[in-house]
Amino acid sequence: MKLKEVDRTAMQAWSPAQQHPIYLATGTSAQQLDATFSTSASLEIFELDLSDPSLNMKSCATFSSSHRYHKLIWGPHSMTSGERVSGVLIAGGENGNVILYDPDKIIAGDTEVIIAQKDKHTGPVRALDVNMFQTNLVASGANESEIYIWDLNNFAMPMTPGVKTQPLEDISSIAWNRQVQHILASASPSGRATVWDLRKNEPIIKVSDHNNRMHCSGLAWHPDVATQMVLASEDDRLPVIQMWDLRFASSPLRVLESHTRGILAIAWSMADSELLLSCGKDAKILCSSPNTGEVLYELPTNTQWCFDIQWCPRNPAVLSAASFDGRISIYSIMGGSTDSLRQKQVDQLSSSFGNLDPFGTGQPLPPLQLPQQTVPQSVVLPLKKPPKWIQRPVGASFSFGGKLVTFENAKLQQQPGVQQQEQQHHHVYVSQVVTEKEFLARSNQLQEAVQSEGFVSYCQKKIDTAQADFEKNVWAFLKVNFEEDSRVKYLELLGYRKDDLRKKIASALNKEGLADGGLGETLTESDESVPNVGDEGQATEEQFLGESVKDHKQETEDLGSAKKTFNISVSGDVDGLITQALLTGNFESAVDLCLHDNRMADAIILAISGGQELLSRTQEKYFAKMQSKITRLITAVVTKNWKEIVQSCDLRNWREALAAVLTYARPDEFAALCDLLGNRLESEGDSLLQTQACLCYICAGNVEKLVACWTKAQDGNNPLSLQDLIEKVVILRKAVQLSQTVDPNVVGALLAEKMSQYANLLAAQGSIAAALTFLPANTNQPNIVLLRDRLCRARGDIPVGQEALKAQYERQPKGQAGPVVEQMQGPQAPSQQYYQQVRIAPTVTTWSNKTPTALPSHPPAGCPSDTQGDNPPPPGFIMPGAVNPNMPPQQVTPSNYSMYSQAGTRPTYPQTYQATQQYSCGTGGPALYQPQQPIAVPASASYTNPAPNTTPPYLPSAPAHSLPSPLYPGQPQPSPTSLNPVCSFPLPLGASFQHGRPGPPATSVAYALPTGPTGPQNGWNDPPALNRAAKKKKVPSNFLPPVPITFPIMNPLADPQSQVQQPPAPAAPMGAPSFQPPHLPAGPAVLQGGYPTAPQPLGPCVGPPAASKPSTEGAPGAPIGNAIQHVQALPTEKITKKPIPEEHLVLKTTFEALIQRCLLSASDPQTKRKLDDANKRLEFLYDKLREQTLSPTIISGLHNIVKSIETRNYQEGLNIHTHIVSTSNFSETSAFMPVLKVVLTQANKLGV
Amino acid sequence: MIHDAQMDYYGTRLATCSSDRSVKIFDVRNGGQILIADLRGHEGPVWQVAWAHPMYGNILASCSYDRKVIIWKEENGTWEKTYEYTGHDSSVNSVCWAPHDYGLILACGSSDGAISLLSYTGDGQWEVKKISNAHTIGCNAVSWAPAVVPGSLIEQPSGQKPNYIKRFASGGCDNLVKIWKEEDGQWKEEQKLEAHSDWVRDVAWAPSIGLPTSTIASCSQDGRVFIWTCDDASGNSWSPKLLHKFNDVVWHVSWSITANILAVSGGDNKVTLWKESVDGLWACISDVNKGQGGVSALPEGQQNEQ
Repeated sequence: MKLKEVDRTAMQAWSPAQQHPIYLATGTSAQQLDATFSTSASLEIFELDLSDPSLNMKSCATFSSSHRYHKLIWGPHSMTSGERVSGVLIAGGENGNVILYDPDKIIAGDTEVIIAQKDKHTGPVRALDVNMFQTNLVASGANESEIYIWDLNNFAMPMTPGVKTQPLEDISSIAWNRQVQHILASASPSGRATVWDLRKNEPIIKVSDHNNRMHCSGLAWHPDVATQMVLASEDDRLPVIQMWDLRFASSPLRVLESHTRGILAIAWSMADSELLLSCGKDAKILCSSPNTGEVLYELPTNTQWCFDIQWCPRNPAVLSAASFDGRISIYSIMGGSTDSLRQKQVDQLSSSFGNLDPFGTGQPLPPLQLPQQTVPQSVVLPLKKPPKWIQRPVGASFSFGGKLVTFENAKLQQQPGVQQQEQQHHHVYVSQVVTEKEFLARSNQLQEAVQSEGFVSYCQKKIDTAQADFEKNVWAFLKVNFEEDSRVKYLELLGYRKDDLRKKIASALNKEGLADGGLGETLTESDESVPNVGDEGQATEEQFLGESVKDHKQETEDLGSAKKTFNISVSGDVDGLITQALLTGNFESAVDLCLHDNRMADAIILAISGGQELLSRTQEKYFAKMQSKITRLITAVVTKNWKEIVQSCDLRNWREALAAVLTYARPDEFAALCDLLGNRLESEGDSLLQTQACLCYICAGNVEKLVACWTKAQDGNNPLSLQDLIEKVVILRKAVQLSQTVDPNVVGALLAEKMSQYANLLAAQGSIAAALTFLPANTNQPNIVLLRDRLCRARGDIPVGQEALKAQYERQPKGQAGPVVEQMQGPQAPSQQYYQQVRIAPTVTTWSNKTPTALPSHPPAGCPSDTQGDNPPPPGFIMPGAVNPNMPPQQVTPSNYSMYSQAGTRPTYPQTYQATQQYSCGTGGPALYQPQQPIAVPASASYTNPAPNTTPPYLPSAPAHSLPSPLYPGQPQPSPTSLNPVCSFPLPLGASFQHGRPGPPATSVAYALPTGPTGPQNGWNDPPALNRAAKKKKVPSNFLPPVPITFPIMNPLADPQSQVQQPPAPAAPMGAPSFQPPHLPAGPAVLQGGYPTAPQPLGPCVGPPAASKPSTEGAPGAPIGNAIQHVQALPTEKITKKPIPEEHLVLKTTFEALIQRCLLSASDPQTKRKLDDANKRLEFLYDKLREQTLSPTIISGLHNIVKSIETRNYQEGLNIHTHIVSTSNFSETSAFMPVLKVVLTQANKLGV
Repeated sequence: MIHDAQMDYYGTRLATCSSDRSVKIFDVRNGGQILIADLRGHEGPVWQVAWAHPMYGNILASCSYDRKVIIWKEENGTWEKTYEYTGHDSSVNSVCWAPHDYGLILACGSSDGAISLLSYTGDGQWEVKKISNAHTIGCNAVSWAPAVVPGSLIEQPSGQKPNYIKRFASGGCDNLVKIWKEEDGQWKEEQKLEAHSDWVRDVAWAPSIGLPTSTIASCSQDGRVFIWTCDDASGNSWSPKLLHKFNDVVWHVSWSITANILAVSGGDNKVTLWKESVDGLWACISDVNKGQGGVSALPEGQQNEQ
């Protein structure tokens, strides 16, 4: 493809390879005239500017020369220093002269551009070449066999390579060997070529064709093979290019006969030895492989001969050709389209003549009829063979997980003269790139700590190694979370040691003259007067302090009374009035009088005797009157209004405020108060205070705030600083789960972002598994969902290459999936495996993709699936010994589905069907397992499968599912459809799925949560990713760490508990059948029951009621699970539920256990459904318990019922029930009492 | 002779292409290597392969000296050619999928100087837009900018279709790096980045890590690797920083997923990793010892080129 053209009849020389930009020098050629018959000559330099799309070459300089040129070359040797344009132009003139030009000066417009000039030759100098190895050496050849070697550094005295060859003849071409620097070859029109060895200063070999028709116009050495060269013949009778190998110089190695007429010039590419250009009198420019003789390319040219052709040394795809029609053209051999733009108009050419009247005839010349035989093709194809320079030999690309894929192709080691390409080694390597070693190490430590639950020692280590005091502080605070009496320890950290204080007080009391009030100097001292408001942990100490105070009071009183004799005055002064009032029992007046007289102590002492009401009024008045420094503190202590303190204290006293809160705040308000204080600190501009806010948040267990505050204070993009944060967050979350009633599982948006950032970093370092453990599990944020999917798949757990699997978003990575499936096929497969399989099935979801639009929907879908995958295996799974095949599958699969439904976007849920299958299987018993195998198969297949029952159950189940939501009025109901019980039946498939889902969470919970947080709260949020890690440890290797969306439901069950329960699991098989009625209808019912109280299913399965108990505890969470899903859909929303007060938990556990027992022994589906429904509706009761809104009589009645249940005396229970109903407010009990009656009646009937 | 090797989105499959005209896909999970597919269809050396985002299925694009771009797709476990684009007049040197947010769009750079953009419009149809003469003598590399919405680099209000500005960078034999931007459905040259003195062999737009800075790495025949950064949202002011001048051609640059490490592969068969220090200086953090970690090495019994 033509790139540029210049209308010159000239010899050409490209600037050397190192020169940038690329220049082309042209020197008016000798022995050619243009139509002006001008004899002037010039040397011009053009710049090759490829960014200019036009065909014009940019002329940089023109120098009017007195010479015309037979040869022009541009050598890289620098004759002068510091020039902008490198090298030297060497020209061969007509009269035996060799002239050196400085191209830099030419371009600069300098007039003195000739560096040197010698007229040593005879005749025109047609041959010139620069030695590649010593670029100061130039060889020239002219008539009479003259060859000179010029040293540009010593230009005056050329050397000769040896004795002139005889007979004397013109030298038409000369060339230095490209491999051996002292070898030179010359050729003459006679067809002879001579090879000179400059070390020996003599010709070493002569090459000549015997037919004498060779008429050498060109000579070129092989770029790579030292012993090979080509000779081109100008003779039309023998228009050939001969390839010679000097190792066998008696005849040409190969003869290229592609031209039909004599060849005028050749040029061998330095960049690819497969490319030899030749142009001839047949007007062709060919590019051939001298090694094979194949013509690789024919340039589309004008019809004129080209007499000179040159590769551009710098740009290997570019060549220039000078033709006799007065034009130099620049071509690319890479092809491309020569669109109309690039075609210069022919008339522009002729106009160069037309305007002239060279002969003075007064008549312009007729337009020149250029032969236009070839219409330029619009499309020019590239070389047949790819040139070497576009073949990428090496590369490295990053891929997910910090892997680096590299490939290389060992360079050809060609032996001189050896043609064959040697065996190359082609390797692709995959390497793991780890750049953040410290980051990884710390991350590992953190994971170890989480897994081993060695939090205290971890914190201690952190304290020991912390550089900054603040770090130490933070870790100390965190550590306290894991210790007993955390509040006391917090106080100590704040500088308030009870022991010290006691001593101080004691010493203070020993000083005389100290009034009671004197004790109130510090906040803590004032504490003494208000004993026992703090939490239980402090109780003993408080008690002690309180007593000491009392003693002290006693003491002072004694002192006072001892002073004087008792004298009752009834005078008219205030004393007298008071006395009178007292004597008449009018405390109120007496107190008023005292107050009025500013006798505060008297007033209060009197008020104490005057009754509670009077006391509090007096207190109020007192506080209103007193304005001392500590009054507000005392006010707060007495009125328990700590919010006031926290809100209004001077922030410099945050420590004291925090101490007060630690001491007094009730558990339920403690966190909020800490938060409040933290907020104030944070909102203060002071950066120091901002960091202190972190401590408050740690006390509050408020992970999200901690993250926000921390992020503000730190540089977030450094991996290590992120590590700093995550360490604290993880530990704090653990602590929160252990100790507080605050919902520990909420992963706020900010934390989620940080965690995913962290996971990304881990992944980038190759720690895929670790990344998964840290990734928040319960978020819908698309990027996290996507990351999770990517991580899971990156772990290689998903079979690849199956269309069905493509694009699925399943998070569940199980390396074992394959094998498991096989095992599963056997009906007898162990339950564990079965379970896994089940889990696999859900994963199979495929993206709706294929079309770009699918994407949006995708993320949500992916998220749910992920969670499902992460669900920890059911208990049975964990404990190899005890397996309840039925149960796990049920729970698991439904959950997955529900997840999907949540996503909502996906129209088709093939998997759901699978789930149903499984479900049915579970009910059926072991035999049913076989059907499940399909699970492994794409969802659709499974669908078809079996279990007629399966599909129907789902629909019914949907309603059941919906039920739970009503139970929790407080909860937001993100997805209206699923929640509304009424609509439940009509619900779309998706809805039905949801209901199924709750079950699984339950299972997962047990595993997922190592620590037993309070049930309800957990329900809302998945357990933190960390939990997983912890689990990991406990779980067998095959268990995937996961991410489970751990459902809160499960949380209630402390890990230990759940595990304990598991042993009973074996019993489950029996239970299972009963549990799930074969009927379709029954199925749904079961499901419902299962998840609302997720634990229930477990419990029953487990068998003995006792065992079930623990699970039931978890139950409350279960219903929440549903809600949670919705919540997830609205990530920003945060819902928390209070725990059921501990003393009432027994109600829940007992009722649930009872229901489970009933379910186990109930035979007809109707009953089962009834029971399931009851189980769910009892949530109303649990809610009320949480809210503590039930009247004491009802509560006690319920406890009595529980007692009767424990003794299996259901009749008595019913009696109590009747009593309660008859004596209580209908609206208060109507939501659950009838249900309870049903349960009791059934229990009685079934005799469980 | 292998010319490219790319892992899929998850890092579980490896696609390679070679002078023997083949495209091969290996399963490399767990350090193993299983040949999944040997795709034949090109009639010349295959220069590059590119995986589409998995949300569109398992799709691989390959480009070859035979002037063709072939899009392969796995259907029912079998890889087949799903589309063949023959609109280039010369070797197609580079293919790159757009961020998945834009849909299925493939940019192809060719030695004919043009860049083609193939957009999947559904039903097996592809719409072609062509930028003629993007790089005189040829385009060697194309690389998409991450999907970032101008003005709001952090978050998008949900539910609203983000107003992405599509951009990609290309490098060519005119020594230029160019940035192209789609405006009103037309691709226009937005920036011309000049610093290299020889062919630009590769360009790589760094993945977005949520910062407002755009970064491009380019490498050249001249041995130089430049890091181009642009801080302003309009994308107008790019400044180059020389990462290093190597002694040989630099063929390939690749960003880590987290965009903080650049892998540079040069003609001396060396791969080096570079990282920017806090003070903005780029430092070589290691030479890659190939196969370190021993994940896998694929011995290729394939033929030499041709």
